[in-house]
Amino acid sequence: MNLIWKLLRRHISAGQLAGFFLANLLGMLTVVLSVQFYEDVLPAFGGEDSFIKNTYIILSKRIAAVSSLRGEAQTFSQDDIAELSSQRFVKRVGRFEASQYQVYASVAMGASQMGTSMFFESVPDEYVDVAWPKMKEGEVPIILPRSYLALYNFGFAESQSLPKLSEGVVSMIQMDLRLRGEGGAEQRLKGRVVGFSTRLNTVLVPAAFMHSSNEMLAPHSQPDPTRLIVEVKNPADDAIATFINEHGYELEDNSLEAGRTTYFLKIVAGIVMAVGLLISALSFYILMLSIFLLVQKNSDKLQNLLLIGYSPAKVSLPYQLLTIVLNVLVLLLAFGALLWIRQRYLERLWQIFPSLSEGPLTPALLVGVGIFVVVSFFNILAVRRKINGLTKA
Amino acid sequence: MNKITLKNALPRVFAGRTDIVSDTWKHDITFERGHLYLVEAASGTGKSSLCSYLIGYRTDYEGSILFDDRDIRSIKMSEWTRLRQRSLSYMFQELRLFPELTAWENVQIKNRLTAHKSDKVIREWFQRLGIADKCDTKLALMSFGQQQRVAFMRALCQPFDFILADEPVSHLDMANSAIMGELLLDEAKQQGAGIIVTSIGHHMDLPYEKTFRL
Repeated sequence: MNLIWKLLRRHISAGQLAGFFLANLLGMLTVVLSVQFYEDVLPAFGGEDSFIKNTYIILSKRIAAVSSLRGEAQTFSQDDIAELSSQRFVKRVGRFEASQYQVYASVAMGASQMGTSMFFESVPDEYVDVAWPKMKEGEVPIILPRSYLALYNFGFAESQSLPKLSEGVVSMIQMDLRLRGEGGAEQRLKGRVVGFSTRLNTVLVPAAFMHSSNEMLAPHSQPDPTRLIVEVKNPADDAIATFINEHGYELEDNSLEAGRTTYFLKIVAGIVMAVGLLISALSFYILMLSIFLLVQKNSDKLQNLLLIGYSPAKVSLPYQLLTIVLNVLVLLLAFGALLWIRQRYLERLWQIFPSLSEGPLTPALLVGVGIFVVVSFFNILAVRRKINGLTKA
Repeated sequence: MNKITLKNALPRVFAGRTDIVSDTWKHDITFERGHLYLVEAASGTGKSSLCSYLIGYRTDYEGSILFDDRDIRSIKMSEWTRLRQRSLSYMFQELRLFPELTAWENVQIKNRLTAHKSDKVIREWFQRLGIADKCDTKLALMSFGQQQRVAFMRALCQPFDFILADEPVSHLDMANSAIMGELLLDEAKQQGAGIIVTSIGHHMDLPYEKTFRL
């Protein structure tokens, strides 16, 4: 082997091999870096332990001036719900049920009374992010959106010189409720705020109470829901946004922004990866040209070796080993560089997203090794074919 | 391999020519193992072509060439490799040595492949052929006659059924030519091999059993 190498290393061009080495390194690094960045950053937008943990979305139908004038339904029919439930991104769908009667709530404040007309809504209990306490006879537990309390404390109370209320204080206030339904049917109850929800932006009562009160006060009205609460598997799924757009639905908050960002991120990572692969492919050609040139320049020696009994495999081996050593070096260096760069960008990302967890290294490693295997395989094959071409005059 | 047979063989470049006078081309001839042959030829009559056909390097001939009863056109590369290592030794007219290696390395590059001869035996050959002092000299710095002796030693570094020596002594004096002849006969005898020597005039003085004119 030493003598063979001594013969065949002649005409090896350090410049050409360095060119290949750098080009391949750049290509490999671009590819593994794009994979790794994607793995590291994606969880921030869509993964299980994402800092955007919202897996519930609330849907309504878009209210357009034209459709409301035409009197088109703003409610979800059974078919709509069935179609939505069958989508692969949906875990379960819950309906909002609205009170079909008038609600008047009042609070006694010393001698005076403060009152307002209002409404109730309910969703199935398992969708509520606050546990319902056990209902007392004649009392209705109510859950308010947390934003209402903030609105009162920092908006209204501040400007009207009224006292600010803590959640505890609010839950001690007892309301008088008057429910008035069809044909003058009326029911008087006490109401108490038992919690504040960040998920549901409405005045919530337990689903069981809603059913019974609607049945009692509005027995003839069975409307379809106007809003749906949907638990999705992954809010970053692009399919959600597509489905919503196609059906003209509206999303209550912007939880799908994460989905769009992810989609965008995927495209960018894809483009970067494609560029990396292109560079890798070009570097492969540089190496092949360089090796072919080498084989051409050494063709007399190679031919002589074959004629004195060396097999094409043996004669090819030095060049094949050369390419593999180069490819291994590229792989190792690319990974070293990847780890270094990754540390730099993770430090920056952690400043923005402190809870961000590192993505796994395995996918980038697999892709890197995959490129190494493919490139090496074709290198080996190309060298062998070139040498085989020398076996006949 | 026990015999090499040419059946109506003719280099393609001679096809269509009617003025060919030859004992070899367009004849059925056989070289047998254990015998000594001389192929004499004038320049340009296809002597090196014949050697190239026999070593599997060229196939531009008509008719057929058989090793035992097998047409050599059907021999695959892997088998040619085995034949060139174990059955068929060839000392090229153009030597095909490696000028960047020393004389010793040029012989060793073959011997390491076959592990056929000990270093001691090869050193003795260098001695007998009068180039012991050139062992570590780069081949490029040696005369053609000296190189011819190196190529000869390289050809002996393998087991063979036939050895083809294409003008092996064209640049050698009588004394060296005689030593080479002795070595060649000894080696072939040990292995029971056939010897085919080609020449355009100045040839090794050996007890040839048959002479073919190309």
